[in-house]
Amino acid sequence: MSAAFGTGTGAPPVVEAADAMAPSATTEGVLRRRLGWMFWIALAWIVVLSLAAILAPWLPIRGIEEKRILPPPDFPPYSPSGDFWFGSDTLARDIFARTIYGARVSLVVGFAAIGFGMIVGGSLGIIAGYFRGLADRLISFVFIIALSFPSLVLAILITSLVNRSLFTVSATLGVLAIAPVGRLARATTIQYADREFVVAARTIGASHTRIIVRELLPNVVIPMGALGLLGMAVAIVAEGSLAFLGLSVEDGVTWGKVIVDGAGSRELQEAPWMAFSPILMLFITVLALNYCGDRLRAHFDVKEISL
Amino acid sequence: MNYWLQRVGMAVLLLLTVSALTFGAMNVLGDPLFNILGPAAADVNNPANAEKIAAARAEYNLDDPLPVRYVKWLGDFVTGDMGVQFSSTGQPPVTNLIQERLPRTLTLLVMAQAFAVVLAVPWALFSASKANKTPDKVSTLASFAMIALPAFALAVILKYLLAIKLGWFPLAYRASDSFPKRLWQTVLPALTIALPAAAVYQRLLRTDLITTLQEDFILMARSKGVSRRDVLYKHALRPSLFSFVTVFGINTGALIGGAFVVEKIFLIPGLGLTIVESIAREDFPVVLAIVMIVTAAFVVLNVLIDVLYSLIDPRVRAS
Repeated sequence: MSAAFGTGTGAPPVVEAADAMAPSATTEGVLRRRLGWMFWIALAWIVVLSLAAILAPWLPIRGIEEKRILPPPDFPPYSPSGDFWFGSDTLARDIFARTIYGARVSLVVGFAAIGFGMIVGGSLGIIAGYFRGLADRLISFVFIIALSFPSLVLAILITSLVNRSLFTVSATLGVLAIAPVGRLARATTIQYADREFVVAARTIGASHTRIIVRELLPNVVIPMGALGLLGMAVAIVAEGSLAFLGLSVEDGVTWGKVIVDGAGSRELQEAPWMAFSPILMLFITVLALNYCGDRLRAHFDVKEISL
Repeated sequence: MNYWLQRVGMAVLLLLTVSALTFGAMNVLGDPLFNILGPAAADVNNPANAEKIAAARAEYNLDDPLPVRYVKWLGDFVTGDMGVQFSSTGQPPVTNLIQERLPRTLTLLVMAQAFAVVLAVPWALFSASKANKTPDKVSTLASFAMIALPAFALAVILKYLLAIKLGWFPLAYRASDSFPKRLWQTVLPALTIALPAAAVYQRLLRTDLITTLQEDFILMARSKGVSRRDVLYKHALRPSLFSFVTVFGINTGALIGGAFVVEKIFLIPGLGLTIVESIAREDFPVVLAIVMIVTAAFVVLNVLIDVLYSLIDPRVRAS
């Protein structure tokens, strides 16, 4: 609206402020094409961590239940040292190894949840946005219902009713992702559905399927991907929250469960590293995911309002 | 007027759907008989147990078809009777249990939101007035980091620093303490919820403030000779509050989730701790009641936000 006018108030034009106004192809747009070196560092962290998580069984680290007793006068819990990079817990288990193995589950939960949300929510959103009418009303109503549950309460509800395997926890968090992702997909589809290239495709007799897959999907996937990175962070955090409520994946270790182990008052007093090492890893990862998602969103000019 | 009717109608429809879904899910997926009678529920061939089972079925209406039970439950619920707990005694009634636990969660949430707003508004005004200068960049970085910090992680950090190391705050919540004491015990948990929320609000409000500060009427005010300070407080703040108010409402839902986790960590026996306990016991009248209360609060809040919205921005009323 008025972003075009008053830049003379002393406040310099701000890219973020322009974001909220309109998708613009102005000179600011060119500036925003650069992702910046921070983006690549953040991405590198995510890649390295993922590789470490995938390759964990073959890396020279200890097992999650493996106990290593040091000679006296040291007693477990051991503080961080060359032997235990992140220290050990009260049972002399290596926190570093547990954190890396925890990343396996936490990252899979994050990835699977958001993948599920993107496939289901994305399809529903595109269908709603493309066909409009009754389908749109129905699907939008489902989205509103899903969004009117406070999400963690819904997660608590589902995980409490089913057995808690890696699959069910991921699926639960995936269900939570459907509505936000779907709303974005719907909004973006509506934005594109009347554009010239779509009309052109329709004019030459392209089927609905073809228009959706060839014309709309490539345009909708990009903003969804940016939201996906943010969503992955949310899912990883949600796993941690569920762990604190005793509702996370039952087998093995997750970041949430490792943090819970160290979060008791006694553990915090005697061995603060038990909780803080995995918290640091979680924090850096969430930060990296948020940053990448944010940069991509700015890069592709996804409007905040449609989120 | 028509708009408000629609809005309220939608809210009621939403609550009905949510309650039906929850009620259905809890009844189909759980075995309530087991929770009342324990292992005896599975031992149908034993005649002594058969009688008990029949009695329990009658008492808890388990023989009625699901829709009938739903309507019965809904009728009771709306009139303030949330049913009996699924335990051998059924005591205390769910309504009493909720009456005892709800105020604690409510106190926590209200305190947290109050802290968040008190922190966020001055913080946003400060960084917007220094837009893109060093203090603003530092504060943007800080808020970005704060948002990336999950509630449970912040809870652990604050508990370690402020309660264990510095000893400023008590470690545990004691339900038997006096009200002022319990308020004091709620401060640290509330702060845990408030800090990330404040960061979210600050980011939003800062962006909107900067947009507003570029408007013509601000230039006008400045050229009339209104001081920077007064422009910020008296002219820019109010028109910048729209998205803040909306997100404040939406965020409350997210905060309820956070509050549940924080309750678990600081052991405040509010709704969060209660729902976790009842889930472990598969005590679904309690779970159902809590889910319904939380959802109803969420929906009502969103309607209220709409009202508030139209008070701040008269254009909404006109359209």
